[in-house]
Amino acid sequence: MTVALQVKNLRKTFPGVVALADANITVEAGSIHALMGENGAGKSTLIKVVTGVQPADSGVMLLHGAPVTFSNPLESMDAGIGVVHQERNVVRDFTVGENIALSSMPRRAGRIDWPAVWREATRCLEMLDLDLDPRTPMRDLSAAQTQLVEIARGLYRRATVLLLDEPTASLSNDEADRLYKVVHQLAEQGTAIVLVSHKLDEVFAHCDAITVLRDGGTAMESRPIAETSRDEVVSTMVGRALGTMEVEARIVDRSGTPALELRDVSTSAGHRAISLSVHRGEIVGMYGLVGAGRTELARSILGLERVTAGETLVDGTPARIRSVRDALQRFRMGYVTENRKEEGVFLLQSITRNVAVTVWSELSRFLGRVPYRAERETVGEFVDALQIKISSQDQLAGQLSGGNQQKVSLAKWLAAKTKILIIDEPTVGIDVKTKRAFYELIWKLADEGLAILLISSDLAEMVTLADRIVVMDRFIVRGEVDNTHDYDTMSTAVIHHIHGSEAAA
Amino acid sequence: MTDSRLGRWGRAELRSPRPLLVILIVVLVGIFASLKPMFLNGPFSISPLITTISIFTVVGLSQMMVLSVGHMNLAVGQLAGISALVMGACFQNLGMPLLLGLAVGLVVGTALGALAGWIIAQTGVNSFIVTLAMNFTLLGLIPTLYSSWSTGQAFTVQPPGFTTLGTGTFADFCLGDTCGSNAVPLLVIPALVCMGLVGYFYSSTRVGRETLMTGSNIQAAELSGVPTRRRLILVHAVSGLLAAVAGFMLAASTGSFTPAIGSEFMLPSFLGPILGGTLLAGGVVSVIGTFLGITLTSVIRNGLLLFQVGIEALNVLLGVILLAALATDRLRLLLAKRRPPKAEESAATLAAELEDAEGNR
Amino acid sequence: MKRLISANNLLLLGVVVVGAALLGSATGGTFFGPVSMTAFFTYLSVPILIGLAQMITLCVGQLNLAVGAIGGVAACAAGVMITSWGVPPWVGGLSTVLIGAFLGLANGLIVVGTRINGFIVTLAMTQILIGVQYGLVGTRTYGSSAWSAVTSFGDAKILGIPNVFVLTLLVAGVVALYFAQSVSGRRLLASGGNAHAAELAGISIDRTLIVAHTLSGLLCGVAAFVTLAILPGVNSSIGGDWLMPSFAAPIIGGVGLAGGTVAVLGTVLAATVVRLVDAASAIFKFDTSAVNFVVGAVVLGTVALGRLREVQAARRASALRSKRAEAALAEVSR
Repeated sequence: MTVALQVKNLRKTFPGVVALADANITVEAGSIHALMGENGAGKSTLIKVVTGVQPADSGVMLLHGAPVTFSNPLESMDAGIGVVHQERNVVRDFTVGENIALSSMPRRAGRIDWPAVWREATRCLEMLDLDLDPRTPMRDLSAAQTQLVEIARGLYRRATVLLLDEPTASLSNDEADRLYKVVHQLAEQGTAIVLVSHKLDEVFAHCDAITVLRDGGTAMESRPIAETSRDEVVSTMVGRALGTMEVEARIVDRSGTPALELRDVSTSAGHRAISLSVHRGEIVGMYGLVGAGRTELARSILGLERVTAGETLVDGTPARIRSVRDALQRFRMGYVTENRKEEGVFLLQSITRNVAVTVWSELSRFLGRVPYRAERETVGEFVDALQIKISSQDQLAGQLSGGNQQKVSLAKWLAAKTKILIIDEPTVGIDVKTKRAFYELIWKLADEGLAILLISSDLAEMVTLADRIVVMDRFIVRGEVDNTHDYDTMSTAVIHHIHGSEAAA
Repeated sequence: MTDSRLGRWGRAELRSPRPLLVILIVVLVGIFASLKPMFLNGPFSISPLITTISIFTVVGLSQMMVLSVGHMNLAVGQLAGISALVMGACFQNLGMPLLLGLAVGLVVGTALGALAGWIIAQTGVNSFIVTLAMNFTLLGLIPTLYSSWSTGQAFTVQPPGFTTLGTGTFADFCLGDTCGSNAVPLLVIPALVCMGLVGYFYSSTRVGRETLMTGSNIQAAELSGVPTRRRLILVHAVSGLLAAVAGFMLAASTGSFTPAIGSEFMLPSFLGPILGGTLLAGGVVSVIGTFLGITLTSVIRNGLLLFQVGIEALNVLLGVILLAALATDRLRLLLAKRRPPKAEESAATLAAELEDAEGNR
Repeated sequence: MKRLISANNLLLLGVVVVGAALLGSATGGTFFGPVSMTAFFTYLSVPILIGLAQMITLCVGQLNLAVGAIGGVAACAAGVMITSWGVPPWVGGLSTVLIGAFLGLANGLIVVGTRINGFIVTLAMTQILIGVQYGLVGTRTYGSSAWSAVTSFGDAKILGIPNVFVLTLLVAGVVALYFAQSVSGRRLLASGGNAHAAELAGISIDRTLIVAHTLSGLLCGVAAFVTLAILPGVNSSIGGDWLMPSFAAPIIGGVGLAGGTVAVLGTVLAATVVRLVDAASAIFKFDTSAVNFVVGAVVLGTVALGRLREVQAARRASALRSKRAEAALAEVSR
């Protein structure tokens, strides 16, 4: 079999983070090659390098045996690398055919040759065994169909290598089956397919080879699927990423009323029958893949989505929370958001303002005046407590490193003396040392009596931090397990909850 | 971190466009005064200049209020116009005393501003469209009402105190033997009061800070417990209030209420704040900067008028200045790219850097 | 064809028909008389053209505040050239199109080159051009007798329809064809619809912005030509009241503010509706305020409705997720 795409010793660093450290992968033509790894393992960086979005610092990329470097996505596409991202990327106001042919529309006498567009589009769609009229408006299609159109778009550009990023993340079982039929067909026709996925079952059902990334490096390189097992893959993925971080189970007093409890909660975002509880001093983790509905649940608890059924209880009493302000002022609840740059931190504002924003209501007195000294002292207290590295409080938050920005995002809730804290993906894009510091911090907060609901897609992180793990998938709770802090057993248990296999923990 | 608040403020000001504005103003005044000594004449040149600056500073503050949340108010002129109309009608048709009529007009401006803010917050429609539509509806309404409510398309009745406020100077006030200068019109007082209140609002109050956070990042603000909808409506309401104040000041300075009030407000309302360092995207404002921006453009305007340069050249110049002012931020970024990142930099520079980083992603 | 028969267009067509019928009956038929009809369609031309000009900038997600200023400068420049510099009337008349295109190009280049918000750029340009316009004509009105060749074109009719209106319809047709059939037009729509997808397809967003602004200016130039042909003269007030109508027509006609869509027929019909309201206010002696108020309210209503549709779509997505969650729940409980 010929090698379609090969990557050797690829390195890529961003300020403070090593994204890729000697990554290797060899993809043969006509094969379906799985690329797996935890969040932060380097999968998306690898894809960005291969598709020309980012240049690598060093290393070699060979396409059909010839070395290539891409300085922009267009070059990568012209070379024959097609990619279908996780989020849909089409022009909704156009037709299917036009989206497929957009990169080079057939012309005749200065005008668009529409019959040729329909012809070419149909040809590509037929290669996928898709019976779709190219004249169909894009907005009439389902997400699954849109995805297939994006694949057809790659075929139009004569892609010989196709990268699919979490293709079945938001598909139903039937739609996923459909997709894999197409994928197999393409492989038979000689296309090399790289499949990025979290889903073990699908990988083992459909892929020929597998590469596992961990901490930017290749932990399992281009192994034929027959030569490995689910368990080996899982343990390779998860590994001892943080060195030996021996963690003893914390002692949590669950005898009293939970600080926060959800009973059979359904929401306007799409959740059904969610039940969970968090006690004072407890860290409850919500684990799930992207699209499981965890952030949406957090937003529902805070009143940003409507609770359509069930009850939310704070300290035992039913609570109707109307807004984040409500959650903060009436119930001392806080939310450290997922995307710190977009939602957690005010990049163009000073550190003082970033941290004090939640406490102005309390600091302000006569005529709404905020006493300058009190403001700076309060902020200073928490800057010191969290050891945020700043040259002065007047520094703009956008100038800080990712880790420090995350600390700022957290600081405002500590300053507000919250008693219940929802923390969403706290260590994304943060280096290992700062991650550790964050873990210590979260434990300290729990020890001081905070009730913490932790959302994370990083299984190792979850197993390190949480006292209990609630597994979510597709907007429902799949199961709940007490955390033994042992990676192997916990990861097996959790992953099996998600994929619905019999062997439960 | 132990240096003084004054020191920090000073350094921040130096990084802003404001020192440049001060220098330009001083240089231009110097040039105009040396070429035409008439320029420095107290009652005939300086006083009208300060009157213009006072009125248009309030106009600039009106726009600055909505700029602080990243919105725009295209109806500043018409809000001033309709408020002035109502005030004039109160004085002439209803015989109200000065303060009462003024109050009624201010209420009208505030209410209409709040309405626009409410529509924007409720429907999520772009502030540009909502205020443009409001501008349009008032545009037709104002002359019609003048026709039906007044004689000869203007309200000329002047309640007691009106003329003094509008055309009087500090020379009218004497303490013993020393009288104030006749180069300083009384109209500075409302301008200074507005500047003081708006400045205090943004620098020292909780609501003002929350407003700036809303402008900086409305999602993050909502997720931090800021009642963003209420803040949006508030700024639009105050914008209407300030527009009404400006309309009153203009009427006082000319002596009558006419449909033309507000017709010249649109460009200065943007020019002042933007030249002074207020960011279009929201989150950063400067009251002093707005004042300096208006002062610069007024000095240019009055100076050129003294040289009998036509209005057309002035318009061209102002438009060019607006573009140049914004383009310089880009230029500064281009030049700064080679140098290592400074610990302290202005929000505008950081904003440009972040935008650039996004594009290169 | 399907898109032409959209719900919005049908509604507008209905309003036009009903409105015309009402005016006809209210005037005992004189509304449909030759004099009235000539005036109606003659003065419908500029609103359609400037509506299309704004539509082009809207489709790439930009705003063109300089529509009136560009038209005004183009018209006055032509007037001055013909009257004072002895330029032949037709040459001067058609130069408006070039001037408009040139000014639009300037806008586009400044927007792309300085990366300043298109609103501010066109706001500043408006001021600059107003100054230029005044500098060209001052307080004087340049009488159209100097270009009588052009005005006779403006007075004449083909098969009973005013020439300028036929010209306008032709231009509208070309614009429609441009967006339906040309690569350049489709690129504009792609970049407005999903800039990221467009870039990945090799489309230069910068170039599309420049093209859009240039074409917008060009159409303003055509509007200036029509102005020369139908008005008794040009002065510094030309274009002063073009801004709101240039937005009202495309917005009411169904063009989204976010970019990515055009609606030529919708814009034409919407401009016709506004013209009918104008005609009605003249016949029934309405206050101009009522007309403006109605137009402003309709614009607001149209945009608010668009937002409502977005909210409904989001709700539908949630409902879908709900259903999936139910199904998943059933699986687990088994």
